[in-house]
Order: sequence, then C-alpha cells, then structure tokens
Amino acid sequence: MNQGVIITLPKSDDVTEYLSVFSKPIIDECSKQNIKLKKLEKDKANRSDFEKLLKSIDYKMIIFNGHGSVNEILGHKNKELISAGKNDSLLTNRITYSRSCYSLQGVGNSSMKNNTDGCFIGYKIPFMFLIDLTHVTNPSKDNIAKIFFETSNLIPITIIKGNSVKEAHDNSRKSMLRAIKSAIKKKNKDSEAIAETLWNNYLAQGLVGNFNATLR
Amino acid sequence: MNEDSPQNRDFSEAVKELVITRIEAQISPNIRLSIGMDGSLNKEEMIEHVKKGDEIGERIINVHLNFIKAQSSGELISALNSVD
Repeated sequence: MNQGVIITLPKSDDVTEYLSVFSKPIIDECSKQNIKLKKLEKDKANRSDFEKLLKSIDYKMIIFNGHGSVNEILGHKNKELISAGKNDSLLTNRITYSRSCYSLQGVGNSSMKNNTDGCFIGYKIPFMFLIDLTHVTNPSKDNIAKIFFETSNLIPITIIKGNSVKEAHDNSRKSMLRAIKSAIKKKNKDSEAIAETLWNNYLAQGLVGNFNATLR
Repeated sequence: MNEDSPQNRDFSEAVKELVITRIEAQISPNIRLSIGMDGSLNKEEMIEHVKKGDEIGERIINVHLNFIKAQSSGELISALNSVD
C-alpha cells in the first residue's frame, strides 16, 4: 500500500457542491505535507473510476464526500461508490474518512471486519450543516457553513499531518465543542441553530478499526 | 436507521409543537439545513416535515431532542468545560 490520498469531489447538488468546495483545505494540506493526492471530481466520482484508480495507485487513505446510507457511500449524481458486502473490502486496511450520512454503522463496520492496519471514520446519523443562502452561489464565502467544514476537515488534515486516526477524531470533536462555545457566546440570531447542529455532528462522528492507524 | 437516537417512534403532538416553536425562533430566513440526501431545507420546509412526522421530520426532531437532553442532563456543559 502506498502513502497517498484519494478524494472524491462530486458536485451534483447544493450539498455535494458545498462538500467539494470546502475540501480545498484538505487538498492544500496534502500539498503542504508533500502527500500524493488523486482527485475524483464530478462525474469521475463513480464506482468504476474509483476502483480502477485504487487498483492502480493503491493509496492508503481515502476521503469520501457525498451522500450515503447505512450500507452505501455515493458519488456524483448519487451513484454507488461503495456498497456494504459488495466492494467494501477495498477499504480494509486503509484509512477512510467518509463525510456522508450513516455510513459508519454499515459500510464502516463491514469494511473493517478483517482489518488490522486501517480505520474508518464516519457518521452514525446524518452529517448536517447550515447554509447561508446569501452565499449559496459562492459557498467559499459562506461563514456559517465554514464552521461545520472547518471542524470536520480537521479529521483528514490531522491524519495528513502524520497523527493517528484517534487523534484526528479527538481533535475534530474538540474543535466542534470550541465552535459550540463560540456560537453560544456570540448570542446572535443563528447561535442556537449552529450549536445544535454541531452537537448533532459531535454525537454522530465515530470510528471503527485500528484507532492507532497513521498515514505515514 | 440509527440505533443511538430515538428514531422510528411516534412523536407526540406536544413534542412536534416544541420543535416547531424552536425552529421558528432559531432559524433565520436566510438559513437552510443540509440533512443528507434530501438536500437542504428552509424553515418552512423543516416545519412541514416535523408536522408530517415523516423520516426527515423525525431526524429534525431528534436533533432538537438530543440537544435539549444534553443541556438538561449536564452532558453539554460538561463537554464544553472540557475544552479551552
């Protein structure tokens, strides 16, 4: 297995558009740390291209952005990328961060069945975020959505920097608590909604596999 | 469905009313909630799902109940006190 990261960047609705746009700091961190990165953008985020790429470069870390369910991680236009019991063994012994709803319970658990060196971080319930419609045509300017992506981006960024998956999980959860504190202190019109949605993600995030797994 | 939160149950009208009141008070007109495959919802759409008590409505109710529970049990304050 080679040191490197594959990231999916579907853009087929407003949710996946946001997931992809806010993945830029992850991409930048790979460059900063000299970690090889392969992007599967838009319609390239499909099962066939993903499997071909993984087979050819055999990278250790995979980051999925997209919709999902207990048993599936989806790509562009909600096409299946990983399905529990079908091709989830591709994730065994790799580090996977799945920024998609529910996938920890099904895909996460089944992909880590015969695992020794890998770990899966994902969500037990939906990963949620708030969008400020004022910036919907330019998501990178959306300072409300940014709060949810800065805290979740810390998972892959911490791993890319050389830390363990457990450290990445803890780092991200602590940052969510700090963001909740900050939102509550501000006491503005969106504070409560931001705090409540961050708390959902705090409860939802979990990991399965070898918690000490590292990319390096 | 998730096993860690109170999914798949019938919420009483009182709980729905509580959540609707909270949504009305908390969500500004410019805010949408992204909640997975169902896309993003504005305040009116959120309230509609809660009223119907469908799957999306249940998810929204669970977010509110989990937060209220964490506040009342002291879990939230304890977690917040654990960070700088």
